[in-house]
Amino acid sequence: MECCGPGYSSPADAVKAPQEKLLYTIAIYTGTGIQKPDYLATVDVDPDSSTYSQVIHRLEMPGIGDELHHMGWNACSSCFEDTSMARKYLLLPGVRSNNIHIIDTATDPRAPRLHKVVDGNEIKSKTNLSGPHTVHCLGSEIIISMLGNAKGEAPGGYLYLNKDFEILGRWENSMGDIKFGYDFWYQPRHNVMVSSEWAAPNTFMPGFDLEEVGHLKYGREIHFWDFEKKVPIETMYLGEDGLLPLEVKFHHDPDSTHGFCGAALSSNVIHWWKDNSEKWQWEKIIDVENEPHPEWPIPVPGVMSAILVSMDDKYLYLNNWLHGDMRQYDISDPHNPVLTGQVWMGGLLGKAPEVNGVKVAGGPQMFQLSLDGKRLYVTTSLFSTWDNQFYPEIREQGGIMIMIDCDPVSGGMTINPDFIVDFGQEPNGPSRCHEARYPGGDCTSDIWL
Amino acid sequence: MAYTVTISNRDNVRYQVDGKRSLLDSLRDRAVDLPYGCKYGGCITCAAKLTVGEVDQRRQVALNNRQINDGYVILCVARPTSDITIEIGVESHDKLYRNPFLDPLKPYELKADIAAPKEA
Repeated sequence: MECCGPGYSSPADAVKAPQEKLLYTIAIYTGTGIQKPDYLATVDVDPDSSTYSQVIHRLEMPGIGDELHHMGWNACSSCFEDTSMARKYLLLPGVRSNNIHIIDTATDPRAPRLHKVVDGNEIKSKTNLSGPHTVHCLGSEIIISMLGNAKGEAPGGYLYLNKDFEILGRWENSMGDIKFGYDFWYQPRHNVMVSSEWAAPNTFMPGFDLEEVGHLKYGREIHFWDFEKKVPIETMYLGEDGLLPLEVKFHHDPDSTHGFCGAALSSNVIHWWKDNSEKWQWEKIIDVENEPHPEWPIPVPGVMSAILVSMDDKYLYLNNWLHGDMRQYDISDPHNPVLTGQVWMGGLLGKAPEVNGVKVAGGPQMFQLSLDGKRLYVTTSLFSTWDNQFYPEIREQGGIMIMIDCDPVSGGMTINPDFIVDFGQEPNGPSRCHEARYPGGDCTSDIWL
Repeated sequence: MAYTVTISNRDNVRYQVDGKRSLLDSLRDRAVDLPYGCKYGGCITCAAKLTVGEVDQRRQVALNNRQINDGYVILCVARPTSDITIEIGVESHDKLYRNPFLDPLKPYELKADIAAPKEA
């Protein structure tokens, strides 16, 4: 079929895409003490290039204090049959400022440029929403989970933008009884969206008070939506197994009903699926045990802040930000995951204070897998205020990005010895990198209709 | 009403500011380089430490009671109600962040909406 719009005809087609040569990651100065704007860094990931493993371009945002965090594309494989669309713009929300930066990555992929800013104050006044997080495109339109109202109170809702990045209003018709927002993912063939819960911006932005979990200021539920009606229809109470249910991912296979959620504080992976009687079910499939620490009165939780499913749906990757390990599980049978790989980088347990000659401040945090499943890029900063609590040395050292070689056939992970990007050496001082994406699409963006 | 703000970690520089405006707006207008984020008192980025005087920061929702007792004020919503002395920037944040597992809050040190009264 010679069409085509952006992306790939299927996940299997995406796996066969050319190897990525550029990678974008956001880097922050918000909360670091350096009075400079956050920026989008272009990293050279072409092993044949003379600037391999280096930041080759920095696009500063217009203002300071945004706290760039997650990103999303204007279009993905859900527009594959729409030749009028292209994967040209990367959306960079500022969690604190509420501004949504629209970045043109297509005119010069090595040197992205600012196309437009959707003003944070305009978003607040038109939609009563703030605290942007996850960006997904819906065909030619865009929805962004917003974690609070204009005053930073939960549950927030979903900002709806058209393809020209004009504010259409709120996407959802109702938030039902949902208490908090965070991440979401949808599977159109099953008319379902799943959303998860962090906390109100006013709760998580200033930092993490553990006691507030017990006061129900943090989430412990996931929600199933009627995607076409845009209303939540079923809630799963995960309880102590699901404290801070953050990232949610469906299988990439658009026919599958299986999906996964990483509960950060419980450090569990929750698996959901639709059973033979068309009912949604959930179970805990991975439980990372807390680890003793010589100086802590209580064992250290893993803090599983992110999960990722490989494009072939065979492997699930997770991090333990406080322990310091990245793990790979074979989820060919999603009810019975098998640990197939593990590496250590930073963390509080002292297992890998240095990687490739660079001292690690922080632990494995965000990660992005190549479409072929062979290269996993991992960064170390979670969120400025939370970094400052758990890893205060990150102020002087900054974040790093490493690459893990993954075996997509037999399983296994090894830290690549030739790749490291040290954001402690940035020209304006130590910055912190977080989410990463590739120009050609990645393992956390594309959805198939 | 005008008050004098002294910034102790900037060579004790002094500014006259309007008590009706937030300290962030007043000081930024005078070209003081200050971190900030949400501008509604919820995100803690602009926290500074008050060492002398009083402010009205009833609109802030970012600080717990321990942070308030340690002198922290949220500049984007705080207004002076007397002459004040503050420390600004991350140099003033020595007590702002703590590891919540190693240094738990007592019930009266939580945020105002969930704090228990301090027992005498």
